[in-house]
Amino acid sequence: MRKILAIIWQALSIAYSDRNLLLIMLATPLALATIIGLAFGGTGSGDISIENIKIAIVNLDGVDENGANGQVFVDLLVPPAESAANSNANADTAATETSDDGGVVCGQTPDEDSSGRNVLFDLTDAVEMTDAAAARAAVDTGDLVAAIIIPADFSENLAYTQDDSTLDPTSIEVYGSSAALISSSVIRSITESIAYQIATGNIAIAATFDTLIERAFARPAFGLQFQSAAASFQPDFSCAFVPSFNPLRLEAQTVSGARVEFDPLVIFGASQAMFFMLFTAQGVATNVLEEQRTGTLQRLLVSPTTRLTVLIGKLLAAFINSLVQITLLFFAFSIVASLMRGEIRLIWGTHLPLVALTMIVASLSVAGLGVLLASLVRTPESAGTIGSMINMAMGVLGGAFFNVQAIPLLQPLTAFSLIYWGTDAFTKLSQGFTDIGLNLLILLVQGSVMFVAGLWLFNRRLKV
Amino acid sequence: MPETMVQARGLVKTYRRKDGSTVEAVRNIDLDIYKGEIFSLLGPNGAGKSTTISMISGLIEPTAGDAQIARYSITKQPMEAKKLLGIVPQDIALYPTLSARQNLDFFGRMYGLGGAELHKRIDEVLDFIDLKERQKDRIDTFSGGMKRRVNIGVGLLHRPQLVYMDEPTVGIDPQNRRRILDTVFRLRDEQKMTVLYTTHLMEESQELSDRVGIIDHGKIIALGTVGELVQKVGEEDRLILKVGQQKIAAEVLERLKQVEQVTSALYDPPQQAAEGADEATDGVITVFAKRGRRALPDVIQIANDASIDVLSVEVREPDLEAVFLHLTGRALRD
Repeated sequence: MRKILAIIWQALSIAYSDRNLLLIMLATPLALATIIGLAFGGTGSGDISIENIKIAIVNLDGVDENGANGQVFVDLLVPPAESAANSNANADTAATETSDDGGVVCGQTPDEDSSGRNVLFDLTDAVEMTDAAAARAAVDTGDLVAAIIIPADFSENLAYTQDDSTLDPTSIEVYGSSAALISSSVIRSITESIAYQIATGNIAIAATFDTLIERAFARPAFGLQFQSAAASFQPDFSCAFVPSFNPLRLEAQTVSGARVEFDPLVIFGASQAMFFMLFTAQGVATNVLEEQRTGTLQRLLVSPTTRLTVLIGKLLAAFINSLVQITLLFFAFSIVASLMRGEIRLIWGTHLPLVALTMIVASLSVAGLGVLLASLVRTPESAGTIGSMINMAMGVLGGAFFNVQAIPLLQPLTAFSLIYWGTDAFTKLSQGFTDIGLNLLILLVQGSVMFVAGLWLFNRRLKV
Repeated sequence: MPETMVQARGLVKTYRRKDGSTVEAVRNIDLDIYKGEIFSLLGPNGAGKSTTISMISGLIEPTAGDAQIARYSITKQPMEAKKLLGIVPQDIALYPTLSARQNLDFFGRMYGLGGAELHKRIDEVLDFIDLKERQKDRIDTFSGGMKRRVNIGVGLLHRPQLVYMDEPTVGIDPQNRRRILDTVFRLRDEQKMTVLYTTHLMEESQELSDRVGIIDHGKIIALGTVGELVQKVGEEDRLILKVGQQKIAAEVLERLKQVEQVTSALYDPPQQAAEGADEATDGVITVFAKRGRRALPDVIQIANDASIDVLSVEVREPDLEAVFLHLTGRALRD
């Protein structure tokens, strides 16, 4: 352990006395933070609203005496032709009319005030399709962000009748694009919300019937009354799902309820921070190969110090450099954002421990890449060239330069980019989402695999 | 029988070329180095010196064979063996942006030193290499000779029993060279260390060594004290005639061998200047004679008869270079 600490200290001492490395590590990204801040900070709120997410709904649910639960999704998300042709201002009226088409009568026309307006029409650009395979294909090609596929037995499984008094499990498929994780997750959340409403309604119906039947058995007089009334008992619960009665509201709320804004500085800042971290981590490779050239690496290896110790020391030094860099950059971005808005802003969200954890995991991951690079190449010059190529490729796939979602061909490759997973995690956190477990896992796995592969290759070298 | 510090047996190192063929850099070397001696491994560049030492020091794995340092196997007990070994590489293996003291501190920690013991050792080593006053200066501000001294100091920090010095006088001025050679003697005489010294300079090896191993084409071709090796070629002088770029016919060599006192004659042809080199090397006729000065007039006469323009003539007493020449049939050159 003392040797690892000594290697870390030596590597950091050299790094922080190297003007070029400091320039790459700190000055360039800080300058970039200011430029990005100026570019995105001066546009008022700087918000970019998430809207018009392209989705398809494939409603395979059969309409029978048990209702048409699948149609609820269509009514809520797909504007009718008239509404789509005009504006969203009269969307609620259109929704009611659709409900009429579907045989639903709610007894009143919904208010057309702001509170009754169907916000989901603003959020999504939904179309109804009949072919599930075609909808999935459209997602795969990038034409759609997600497809909601409602199974044929959806209503039947949720129905409560005298013949079938149990609610059967059923599932709705949300086929989302891996290149648009945030938009997909929004659609997934909306689908879950609507599904919960339907399930809750059906459970309430079932519970009501169970209670009534129990009472009928316990009190025969009530039973007779209930039997005669049951034949004509056709309660309409569908009104609960008409947009004007829909409790679902899209108000950019975090889990804790604090209002957040989508800030472009977050996504650009995070991707650029990750991108520059790759160059800092590349310093491990350059450092190791430069030591090989000057003979200090050989001197280390003929001392009673294992190669594993040397590489762990180098890895941790790169990790610390990367962590310092991203921490400073995140502070810088927050300061720039605060200055531009004239108020203190935590653009990275309020889940600071998770932000810190993501920084740590991302730093470890890029350090792993640095170790692998050190073992793959033979000279500091080739480390610079090949490292830059890898970094640029990761930058492109990770969305550091442009929106990868615009190029469907690249979308399947995004999963290989550390920048993509890191940026996605930081963006989610900034918006109040905390489901970054997959991101952290993938970053850790990628970093670990690269470190182990690097160690193996390093040991395989006949002469270092 | 003196106590053995290094015992190498059957060391082989084979490299695979890109075309799939193999090259044997070291061929079945057996070697004993005794405790407290200065042992020189002498040979031209590419002879296998560095590969042999790299295997003995644990930097590369032997293809076959093993070496022991004070009975610790370098392949089976590498950590124990490495603790006994101090390395002074040919190149300056130091961190140029760190100070002399920081370099010593770092490498000392790599050998497991720490705390007060490390500070004490650094002070002792700085005294030994006479750089205490410059200890806080960065290495990149030092002269070549001073860097060499720090380079040696790093190898001595942990009080190794065996110090390996790889051509430590390459590229330095005579004054610093003298200082380093004196340091080698002090390591043996004052610090009681065993020194394994590689060089391609005959006179250096001859001056320093208790024993010498001559290595060529990956094999040790001679081993012993300087006196023992010289005896192998007999008490012969060498007449060295530089003949520039002229070509020498085989008949001339045959005529030289007929001269009284002459035992053999060799011709080392001139070599074209390599790209970047200053100039081509001269061709050299070496004549071995029991009494060199007595044979000299006849040798010059034969050269004149053959219209050979002799640029210079030198008469040398028996030395290691003669041994190498005798054993390999060629001069020891870079």
